[in-house]
This record gives sequence, C-alpha cells and structure tokens, in this order.
Amino acid sequence: MDSPSALDPPAEAAGPSAPLLVECVGLRKTFGGVVALNDADFNAIAGEVHALVGENGAGKSTLIKAIGGRIRPDAGTIRIKGQAQALGAPEDGHALGIRTVFQELTLLGGMTVAENLLIGREPRGRLGFIHRRRMGEEAEALLARMGIEHIDPLALVEETSLAERQIVEIVRAINNRPDILLLDEPTSSLVEREVNWLYGQIEELRKRDTCIIFTSHRWHEIRNVADRITVFRAGRHVGTFEDIDESEAITLMTGKRVSTLYPAVPPLPARDAALEAKGLRGGRLNGVDLTLHKGEILGVGGLAGHGHRELFFSLFGAERTSGGEILVGGKPVRLASPRQATRRGIDIALVPEDRKTEGLFLGMSIRNNMTLSVLGRISSAGVLNFGAERRVAEEMARRLGVRMQGLRHPVGSLSGGNQQKVLIGRWLLMEPRILLLYDITRGVDVATKHELYELVSRLAGQGHSILLYSSDAEELAHLPHRVLVMREGRIARELAGPDMTAESIVSAAVRDTAQS
Amino acid sequence: MPQPKRKAAWIRLVEQNAGLVLSAVLLVIAIVLYCAIYYAAQGRLPGGFELTTTVNNTMPLVFAGAAQAIVVITGGIDLSVGGVIDLTNALAALYLGDSPLSMVLCTIGVIAVGGACGLLNGLLVAYGRLQPILVTLATLAIFQGLAIRVLPAPGGSVPEAYTAILANFEAPYSLVFIVVLLVVWALVRRTSIGVGIYAIGNDDLAAKSSGVKNLRSRVTAYVLSGMLAAVAGLFLVANATSGDPTTGNGYTLRSIVAVVLGGISLFGGRGTPISAVIGAFVSTMIVNILFFAQIDPLYQSFFEGVFLVVAVLLTAIISRLMRRRAVA
Amino acid sequence: MTILEPSTNEPPPASAVRGARLGVTPDQRRILYAIVAAILLFFIGGLIRPGFSSPSGIAAVLTVACFVGLVAAGQTFVILIGGIDLSVPWTLNAGAILMMSTAANSDARMPFALLVTLGMGALVGLCNGVGIAVFGVPAVVMTLAMNGVLEGLTLGLSGGLTCSSCAAYAPPLLQAAAHGTILGIPAILYLWLGVILLASFILSFTTFGRGTYAIGNGARASYLAGVNVTRTTIILYVISGAFSALAGIMILGFGGQAALGLGDPYLFQSIAAAVIGGVYILGGRGHYVGTVAGSISLVALVSVLMAMNMPEYGRSITYGVIILVLLLAYGRETAER
Repeated sequence: MDSPSALDPPAEAAGPSAPLLVECVGLRKTFGGVVALNDADFNAIAGEVHALVGENGAGKSTLIKAIGGRIRPDAGTIRIKGQAQALGAPEDGHALGIRTVFQELTLLGGMTVAENLLIGREPRGRLGFIHRRRMGEEAEALLARMGIEHIDPLALVEETSLAERQIVEIVRAINNRPDILLLDEPTSSLVEREVNWLYGQIEELRKRDTCIIFTSHRWHEIRNVADRITVFRAGRHVGTFEDIDESEAITLMTGKRVSTLYPAVPPLPARDAALEAKGLRGGRLNGVDLTLHKGEILGVGGLAGHGHRELFFSLFGAERTSGGEILVGGKPVRLASPRQATRRGIDIALVPEDRKTEGLFLGMSIRNNMTLSVLGRISSAGVLNFGAERRVAEEMARRLGVRMQGLRHPVGSLSGGNQQKVLIGRWLLMEPRILLLYDITRGVDVATKHELYELVSRLAGQGHSILLYSSDAEELAHLPHRVLVMREGRIARELAGPDMTAESIVSAAVRDTAQS
Repeated sequence: MPQPKRKAAWIRLVEQNAGLVLSAVLLVIAIVLYCAIYYAAQGRLPGGFELTTTVNNTMPLVFAGAAQAIVVITGGIDLSVGGVIDLTNALAALYLGDSPLSMVLCTIGVIAVGGACGLLNGLLVAYGRLQPILVTLATLAIFQGLAIRVLPAPGGSVPEAYTAILANFEAPYSLVFIVVLLVVWALVRRTSIGVGIYAIGNDDLAAKSSGVKNLRSRVTAYVLSGMLAAVAGLFLVANATSGDPTTGNGYTLRSIVAVVLGGISLFGGRGTPISAVIGAFVSTMIVNILFFAQIDPLYQSFFEGVFLVVAVLLTAIISRLMRRRAVA
Repeated sequence: MTILEPSTNEPPPASAVRGARLGVTPDQRRILYAIVAAILLFFIGGLIRPGFSSPSGIAAVLTVACFVGLVAAGQTFVILIGGIDLSVPWTLNAGAILMMSTAANSDARMPFALLVTLGMGALVGLCNGVGIAVFGVPAVVMTLAMNGVLEGLTLGLSGGLTCSSCAAYAPPLLQAAAHGTILGIPAILYLWLGVILLASFILSFTTFGRGTYAIGNGARASYLAGVNVTRTTIILYVISGAFSALAGIMILGFGGQAALGLGDPYLFQSIAAAVIGGVYILGGRGHYVGTVAGSISLVALVSVLMAMNMPEYGRSITYGVIILVLLLAYGRETAER
C-alpha cells in the first residue's frame, strides 16, 4: 500500500468540546497480509452525527466492525465512554450500548419481523417463557411509534422487500436505545422517502445525545445530515472536517484530483435496433416495450421492486416470461436459459447485481472466474488449453486494469471494484454485442466508479449496445443516451436530452407512483 | 408510506407453516387409504388394537424424528441418531431392574447418556467448527462401537412393568408421551435457546450479530437431540422387551425420512419437530398400507423410496403454487 | 485509462495468502496430509506385524482400498458440486447381483453382463440426477429414496436372493481378473490407476471439470455464467452410479459370489475417504487424488487395527476418533470463512 501523499487539506475541524464517547487510537487490523486498518485514529462525541467517507477498502467498514465488536483489532486501543475496551463479540458492544446496522443485513429470513425486532428482549410471561402474542403486539406498537405502518410484524422477513428489511434492521438497532449507533451504508437500498424517514430518526437520536456514526457513498446524504466528516484512506485517518465539499473530499479520499466523474456520452451512430422487447410479461413485468440501439447506452431507472431485475433477467433468459417477445437484431429469439442468451449470434451478457452470489466464485482464481464464459474457445474437444486461457485472461486483466497480485489468486482477495472488473472482463471475453449491466457501481469506490464509467462509454463507442440499470439517479442522468423509468412492471416514462436530470428521473418514478 | 396490506391471519398461518399443514394432509390421506385397504382386506375398519400397535411401533421413530428435526432446524444433520439409539437401547437392556426406583434411575441415566452423546456432537460442531454431517458420521461409528462393547449380542431383558408403561399393548397410552414432547418443545421454543436454535438455522452470522448465543444454542440443540434419541432407544427396548446393539442403525435414515415427510426444510431455520412426529406416523402408515395391500414385504423399501420422492415433489410443487399465488 | 491511484485491496482469505506464500494451496496441503497419513500407517503396521508393509501386504491393502476408491470416485464427483450420493450401498449391491445373475457363470455372457450392470448403475444415476437437477429434490432425499427403491427392487426381484440365477458365481474370467496379477501387481490396481488418471484428467483439464468446480462454488452464479448446470449435475450422478456398479462388479469378482448387504459399509467409507482426502463436503474444493490417498489411509488404518487384534467395536470407535482428529486438523483451515 502506498503511503498518503502530502496534500493540503481544508482546515480541519477543531477538537471536540464534548467528552469523547468513542476514541480509537492506533488501530491496526490485517487480514492475511492485507492491511485494512493501518494505525487508524478516530473519535466521536455524544449527540453528533459523524460521517465516515473513503473508497472501498479504505477501512471504514473494518473500523465500524471493530467498534461494534464484530472483529478484534490486532493492535491499538478502543475507548468507549472513556474506558479502554477489548471488544471481541457483538455482545460486548451491546453491553456497552453500541448497536450496529451492518451493510450485509443481519436479519433472520425464516423468522417473523416481530421475532427479529425483539430478539434478545422478547416479552416474557409469568413463568419466564416468551409471550408470543404480546411479542406481535409490541412489535406492531414499536413500528407504529417510529412511523412505519406498511410492514406487517407477523410477516416472515423473507417475505419483505430489501428496503423493508433495511428499515426493520434500523428500527431494531434504535429500539435498543443505543448510546452509540453505527450505520454501515444504511441507505444503499432505500428510496428517497425512506431516506428522509431515516434522517428524521437520526435527528431524534441526536436530540437524545446519541452518537451516530455512518458510512455512505452518497455525497448529498453526507452533506445533509453529518455534523462532522472523517475521511479515511488506505486504512488511515486522513482528516476530520465540519464542512468540506465533494471534490475536496474526493481528492482526500483518492489522493488525486478528479476532474469530472462522468465521461462524455459517445455519439450515437445510425439507429439500428440491437435488442427489442415487445409487450414482455411475466413475474413483475406487465408489458414492457423497449428498443436498445446499436452503440447506445440505454438507462433504466425507477424505484426498487418495480420490475427492473425481472426485466434484465428475462432479457438474459434467466427468468421465465409469460408473454411478449424479445428480438435480437430484428429477429425474434426464444431465451430459455442464460446459456442460450450467451450463444453465438445472440451474444447477450448480464452483469448481475449481487456479484458475490450471482456473479463470482470468490474461492476460485481470477483466471478461472474470467474465462468461464469462453471455455469453448480456449478448449478443443472439451480439453482446456491452459496457455490460451492464461493469455486471454492476462490480456483482459490488463485491458481493464485489474489490480491484483496474480491471476492465480482467488477473486475473493480483490477489492469490490476490482472484483466487478473481473466479472465484466468475463463477459467482455465473450465479445457480446449486448451488455446488460445491473447496478454495477453499487458499493464501488469513486475511483473505480470513474473507471467503470469510462469503460461503459468506450464500449458503447465501439458499437456494443448497453442496457444499464442503476439505483443512482445521478449516474443515470449522466452516463446514458436515454433513460427509461419503470413503474409497476412497465416503462412509465422515457427521458432524453435536457429532460434527463437526476431530479426528473426520481420525480418521474415517485410522482407516477403517487398517482396510482 | 404505502398503505398496509395485511394478509388474513389464517392464510398467513398456513403459509408460514406450509410444511406442517402438508404433512398433516399427507397423514390424513395415508389414514384414509389405510382404512380403505384394511376394509377391503378384512371386511371391517381398523380398531383399537390396530391403533395401539401402530402407536407403539411408531414411538421410537417419533422421538428419533424429533431428535433429527431439532438438529435439522439448526441447519445441520445428525447421522449419529441411530448410534445413540443403539447405545441407549443396549444400556437399558443391561441395567433396567424390576424395582420402580431402578427403572426411574436407569431411565434418567440412559437419557443422560444420550445427552452426553449429543453434547459431544454439539461441542465438536460448535466449538470445533466442523460440518455436522462429518462429525456425526464419525460419532456414529463411536457410538455403535460403544453399543457393541456394552451389549456384544442381542439380549438383556426389560421388566414387564416398563414395557407396560412405554409400550402398553392394551391401549395407545403412549400418545401421552407425544403430548409431553409437544409441551416440552413449546416451552423450549419460548426460551432464548429456542429462539437461538431457529436463528442459527437461518443465518449463523446474522444470529451472532443479533446477540444470539450461537454456541450455546447449537450445543443445546444437539444435547436435546441426543436426549430425544435416547428416549427413542428406551421405547425401542420396551417394545422389543429385549436389547439389540444394532437395532437402532436403521433409525438414522428413518429419522431423516420422518423429517422430510414432515415437510421440514433440510436447509434449516424453518419447520417444527411436531411435523417430524407427523412424518413418523406417515412413515408407519405407509408400511401398514403396504402390508394390507399384500405387497411382498421384500418390496417395502421400494415403495417407501417412491413415496418419499413423491411426497417431496408434492410439497415442492404445492409450496411453489402457493408462493406464485402470494406474488400475484 | 487509469487516472487515479490504486484503490486499497479488501482482505483476502488468510488461508489463500498463506498458501500462496508457501507455493502450496491449502487444498494441495490436505492431499499431502492424506498421503503422509497413509505412509505413516504402513510404517506403523510394519512395526506391529512384520509383513504388513511388505509388497504383498501393501498390495492386499491397496486391493481393498481400490473398492473404496472406486465408490469414492463417484462420491467425490458429486460432493464437488455440493451433492451427496446415499444410493451407493444398494447400487453397488444391485450391481453385484445383476452381474452375477446375468453372466450366469459364463465368460461368454460377461461382456453383455458388464454392459447391463454398468448401464443399470448409470440409469440409477440418471434418475438421481434428473430428480435433483430437474425436479429440485434435495440430493440427500433423492439418493436416500433411490437407495430404498433399489433395495426393494433387488430384494423383490431376486426373491431375497433366492432366485434360480442367484445361485450363480462370478464368471471365472472376472474372478481371474480380480485376483490375477500383472508384473507382480494385482490386475485390479491397474484398473484403479486408469480410473485415477481418467478422473484427474476430467477434473483438471476439461471444461466439464471446470464447470463442476464452478457449480460447487456457486450454482446460481454458474447458471448465470452460462454453465449448463442441469446437464453437468445429471452427468455427475450418472458417473457416480456407474462407479458404484463397477465397484459392485469388482467386489463380486473378488468374493466370487454376491450377498445381501454387500454395499452397506461403502457409503460411509466413500464419504470418509473423500473427506480425509481433503474434498470439502459443501463442494467446490478437492480432488480425486486426495480421495485416493484418503481411501488408502482409511483401509490401512482398519488393517492396522486388525493387525493389532482389536475387536470390531474397538475398530469402530478408533475409526470414529481418527476421523474426528483429522477433521479437527483440517477444520482449523476451513474455519476461516
């Protein structure tokens, strides 16, 4: 790892006046040789909202986990309320009034919302056994108290949406009346209205003198709620500020200046349809019509749960459709499996949302992960040609700038952004004509985001057709040629040219919902 | 925020306990079929005697199935159930005396041994962080070996009074023990450990982050499982009136069958041991049906195998249909 | 295109880094353990009873290990995709009985009988594979049920091994092949060597093997990557069924006659052999070479215990304890999730 270069940061915030609630000194944590926290310092006081920013792998999540007791640092001290603590398990944190909302949610899918909300503090009957009916009532009351009415406390968590789960997780943490609340990317699956709800809750907690520490990649959020902002880079504390603007923060986070995040949209050649959907139905899809042209970047936006995922998977043959047709290059095709979608002559590739369970094999090598889509090309009569395999993988890794120790290392050893590149590389090897990119920059650091944007733009310039879903409206406003906003399983709105702004995308999705 | 859309309570109850409901339906079908075939063969409906024999023959599997179910709910599998039954069966046959005191002490002792076997499994799985299927594969060999060491050949004897209590030939008194089992489980389910057993079956890491005592829950689940398997051994020895150190071997697989017929997901975190009790009865009913349908007993396993697959397929299809309806 | 400095790496699994440093991956190290264990056991056996580690003693152990190894070959394939084959015992038993009754003492009918028997094994595997991959029945349930189906069919059709053709012996040629030696080495070991080479080749050098590992590491991701998960799964179970039948044939040749319950010990032994050899029970990691070493260690262990005149119960207990000890030794690595 490089050492942070000399920079002139904006004026740092003055030392806190209130007593320190959380104080970390010289924290160090390595995972098998890779340094996640490198002599990191951090502090926070009661009644403040403290944002932690930095690239992926900068150590934010590791710091949160260390304070929450999920991992034990190798060296350094954590003082909570002035006392040095050895936090080795989440229970230790709970005992000190620390609660964490982790990025990877910790709800139990096969149990009810009520059981999840009240786990560890269930209402007991006279004999000390859990009173199940009262548990339901208490959960209902709790949700109502926090202004949540749409979640059924007796529903199983697995029956609820991702956003609802995130809310349940937050409600649970708050219900434990923590003195210190740690939120790791709490808004990643929330829509604006829910984000505003969360701000409200945070405001309440601040009034109660709770210390709230959160991480986020969304800058406007950070600006809106944070009292102080701490920037991390390469496992170190770079600085803590009361006010810092985005470009300065990015400079500190990356160590270099970013001129513009989004590349110019490449010119669109003649309008040849590459991929068309006509009246596509099935699952959540309720008659989708769209046309993706050759060399076009077509954005898809809208609220979660309105059928984007089903659309992408249907176009890739991974989801059954009940009606409508799909045309590739003007000819109708039947896609019953991803295998058929990736076939020569159709050449559709999908980079899915959840790269850890749907994309990559974390325990397998980078090379094997990459070449999985082109095994046919690097083998003859089913026998692999290792030389050819290494060559194509090496070339692709170089082309995408995958930062790694070597192709033989497991993909799990790479950072999130580099994992994403390996996954994209797998499909580029196949030389697809049509790329379906589903939220590829979610949870990816700014630097890699920028690289991915450049890549998408360049691919379109080379004639690939790209259908791009993103949960980030800002991204949709800048990257594609056109944007389709989905609602209730159909295309509700098409935006192009000057209408294509983050605000119009969000409002199209929200307003249309309100009308129904 | 959107308006609440709640399901009717009974629909939710059925949906969330689909396995239990399906196994109950399966049992009803099996009973009806059995009665029909019995009537065709004997010219009358089955009566008290048939009921008593069926209950007595099923009791070991009821407890073996429940033992298996608890471990399956934690996301594991217990291949050593048969070994624990072997061992406890052998111990009971050797040590049961005629006096009430001896019976009580021996029963407690045998159940304690079962608990100790479970404790060994639990400690290895929880603290050794080993795969349950492998740990219990190894301990199965150990328990089977110990059983043969205790009782090298079939033999020993069981006091008549003991048989009268656990496997009374007059009437299906044993059903009382099932009620006891259900009550005990309902209480366990309402403790932190009970919540923990389901929590770790759902997601180990998430359970830990929710403040669940993972290790303690897991170990307790295996201990409970061992104790239930020991009870199964006691019922087996009471029913057979003598001991056999290998008679439990078949119960490992049979207990898994009872769990599956009970509609409990082998992936853990869902279902209830009550379904395994029902599954055990379905399993016995299948044997009864085959008997009265005058199927060559040599083909028994064939039909059991076919029924198992059919039951699983039906469960899968029905729950898929239900889910589709729920989405629509 | 890179205009920014490298982003920091997330932590890789500790085991991977450590392995890379030593130049041996943890998977390879587990295979080494199993090989070392086998060698050690031969050494100990030699100390206990002279002749144990003589060439003929070793050959005897290897011959028995071969039977375990053949069954475990199929088991390894299905465990690699996170499956399991519990239908092994009665596939093997049915195979032995079918071979015996079809060949009916005659060398001339042997090729036909071989074809029928291996075909039966493959058919069993096909049913398993279709049930699991197409109908989504859990592997444990499907293969468990299939074991029952085969047990019932075998017992029923042979009338509990009382049928007229059940009185036959293994054809002389098969017996000769099972007992014969080539260049002083049991002929059966050449067959095993062939299987080892073939299985290793499939796993390491073919697209099919690559697909197998991919499925074991993530079935959903494999499907989305265009791997034919259904077909691969079915083929793997077919292979497993065929290997069980093959083992049945060889055991028949070795013993001369088939018996009921012949296959029972091979279920747990085949799983144990694979696991001792470092095949990860949840799939995705391991190699048949490890299973081979595992089979040999397992059989050598039992042989050493028998050489010590240990009674059956003692062998059973020791066997369980040793597996636990090995698991604890391996588990320390797999625990780093």
